[in-house]
Amino acid sequence: MPIAPSEVKWIDERTLSPWDWLYLPALWEGLSTTVRHMFSKKVTIEFPEQRPSVPPHYKGVHRLNRDEQGRVRCVACYLCATACPAHCIDIVAAPSPWPDREKYPELFVIDELRCIYCGMCEEACPVDAIELTTLYDLTGFSREEMLFDKEKLLAVYDYTVNKGTDAIRTLRGTLGPASEILEQQSAPLPNT
Amino acid sequence: MALGLPENVFLANLDKLANWVRANSLWPMPFATACCGIELMAVGASRYDIARFGAEVMRFSPRQCDLMIVAGRIVMKMLPVLQRIWLQMPEPKWCISMGACASSGGVFDTYAVVQGIDRFIPVDLYIPGCPPRPEQLIQAVLDLQEKIRKTGTLAGREFQQRTQPNIPQLLPAPPSDRIVAPGDYTTATQRWPGDDRSSSSCSRRPLPQVN
Amino acid sequence: MATIFPPEEEQIIELDVRTDEMLVSMGPQHPSTHGVLRLVLRTDGEVVSEVTPHLGYLHRCAEKIGENVTPIQFIPYTDRMDYLSGMNMNLGYSLAVEKLCGLTDKIPEKAQVIRVIVCELNRIASHLVGIGAYGLDLGTFSPFLYAFREREMILDLFEEVCGARLTYSYVTIGGVHDDLPEGWLERCSKFLDWFEPRLEEYHTLLTRNSIFIKRTAGIGVLPRDMAVAYGCTGPMLRGSLNREKGDPPWDLRKIEPYCGYEQYDFEIPIPPFREAPVEAVIGDAWHRFYVRMKEMEQSARIVRQALRKYETARGAHRIEPPRHLPPGEAYVETECPRGQMGFYVVGRPTKESVPLRVRARSSSFCNLSVTHEICRGCLIADVPAIVGSIDIVMGEVDR
Repeated sequence: MPIAPSEVKWIDERTLSPWDWLYLPALWEGLSTTVRHMFSKKVTIEFPEQRPSVPPHYKGVHRLNRDEQGRVRCVACYLCATACPAHCIDIVAAPSPWPDREKYPELFVIDELRCIYCGMCEEACPVDAIELTTLYDLTGFSREEMLFDKEKLLAVYDYTVNKGTDAIRTLRGTLGPASEILEQQSAPLPNT
Repeated sequence: MALGLPENVFLANLDKLANWVRANSLWPMPFATACCGIELMAVGASRYDIARFGAEVMRFSPRQCDLMIVAGRIVMKMLPVLQRIWLQMPEPKWCISMGACASSGGVFDTYAVVQGIDRFIPVDLYIPGCPPRPEQLIQAVLDLQEKIRKTGTLAGREFQQRTQPNIPQLLPAPPSDRIVAPGDYTTATQRWPGDDRSSSSCSRRPLPQVN
Repeated sequence: MATIFPPEEEQIIELDVRTDEMLVSMGPQHPSTHGVLRLVLRTDGEVVSEVTPHLGYLHRCAEKIGENVTPIQFIPYTDRMDYLSGMNMNLGYSLAVEKLCGLTDKIPEKAQVIRVIVCELNRIASHLVGIGAYGLDLGTFSPFLYAFREREMILDLFEEVCGARLTYSYVTIGGVHDDLPEGWLERCSKFLDWFEPRLEEYHTLLTRNSIFIKRTAGIGVLPRDMAVAYGCTGPMLRGSLNREKGDPPWDLRKIEPYCGYEQYDFEIPIPPFREAPVEAVIGDAWHRFYVRMKEMEQSARIVRQALRKYETARGAHRIEPPRHLPPGEAYVETECPRGQMGFYVVGRPTKESVPLRVRARSSSFCNLSVTHEICRGCLIADVPAIVGSIDIVMGEVDR
């Protein structure tokens, strides 16, 4: 848009006093800020040594929960695979060897690289079998390595339960309010 | 010291020296397209200060970089740009695929989104998460430094195999005596006989036979 | 080829140096294009005569995906549209689906209050990234460090609420996903106590910084009528309004309140500002920046009121979402940090759980469309200053 001459505003350069010409006040002001920050509280988290505290309902690596007898809780109902927006859960169901359920997952594979950690699987699960844990520092050297099968997901359960960071928290598919989670954490953990 | 050298002379394998130098001064090329780019910015900011690992020099010019961090979804229209920037980077160079979208397409399984950049450029390290935590990226940089220290050579021989991208392969039909080693969550899922990585104390159950 | 000119003709040629026009492609991988925007600049020397934005470097069919997934499954996709303000995007889509299902009046008061708290906190976080990245565009690094320091605190608060840092999926259809955890209110008000004095630091770093003023004041002037004609919204539009000429403070939170915004006491900052430097004219990049700074103050005010309101709010944090979508259509616009974000949902004629059509009206897209007008005739160095002041998020433009 061409600028009309009436819209042009002429502004005079600010004149500096001799004191300002020395630039010492400006230097002093800048350096005082630097020095102030040198002695203020540090905000940096020194990561590998200093682990951040994540909330108990952090959405991290998945796990498959075990029941009281150490078996996998999953009943292969495919609800998590249906609810998953990324379609990263792959289940192969088979007739259950145990009398208390019809099916159990013969294969249960989660593609951790495709997952978006939205937590819909744990919300959908009717038997509290799948959960997201507070493990967050996962990296992998290949895509095959990041396909987590049933054994590995159960191993994540053992690891987190032994570490004591993640209590079983979903309650029959209805995720409790976050305020209740802290109370539940004090409850004794199963299978320890 | 057997040679009677003075104390300030440093004797090292030249490969190791080069690796040590390379690992501790990774200059990332932030290929930030979407949400992960914001976490990449957070890694450079004061809370998670990636400068502690010598990788804070984000250069937007590919010719000065040796680590490409692909953060965010890469769509078909962006892919030629990605490939071109990758080719412009001088060897030795590494690539971190940050986040679900770059690594595998993530939730966006559509015609427009590339289902994993490893079909087009070689990827050294994958970070899951959507977006990953900044700690995960720092962990990835540490892992990559470890890899560089272990595998790097002065002449860059480890890159000679990189004549074609490493497309995710179908797993071969597993041998019948395959051991399933769950391990902790940082090690590989399955291993074959002869692989002598330490097993874990977790209970192990063989996978059903796949024909 | 030496051509010998007579002396007087040589002088004329020297005075009238003409260069050819050059097309410069800025982006898609350029630090100051905020992602993957590609600007093709037609330049004559240093002067830009035409700017053409090229889009589609982040297109991923989010709207089409919305026609194949249930509304609750689509919530994570809205997070990834405008990833700097996931809560606001979740809210926009949730409100649209609730309007389609006739749930708008049934949302409990507690859910409304939580929605207001998280959305306003997210507005602060988004504007912090906006001004921090704007500082980066203009070549100053420290505001970025300061802004991210505060932003990490907001993200910590969000992480406690919903377990994610950037893509929350927290506001869902029928309310919010979880209730606020215990002690969160105190931590939130503690953060606000800490945050509000920090705004003065940003003013020192940027607003009153003479280099910053020289880079932004009077640059990229967007007249009010042009802003309205191009459908600009948000700080982009409000930076061009003039209260003295009787322009209304255009903000959907005031004009068409949703989520109970009418019960909160806040102001919509529009120019003229007393603090404006003499060089600044209404509608320039400095005013757009300053509107964002002022909005953060107001957002903090709203959050304080909402925190008090939460203690007495009745109802649950969530009601049961509907299983099926009724036929019909609904369109809801909400005030996101970048402008008015609209969601349009059409239900299928047969009762089904997936919608027939999902459409998003993106604020960044309209704000970006004005680029070629306000960049015309500026210098190349001013293009990042103008594009940065628009504060675009390409995920929202391309969808």
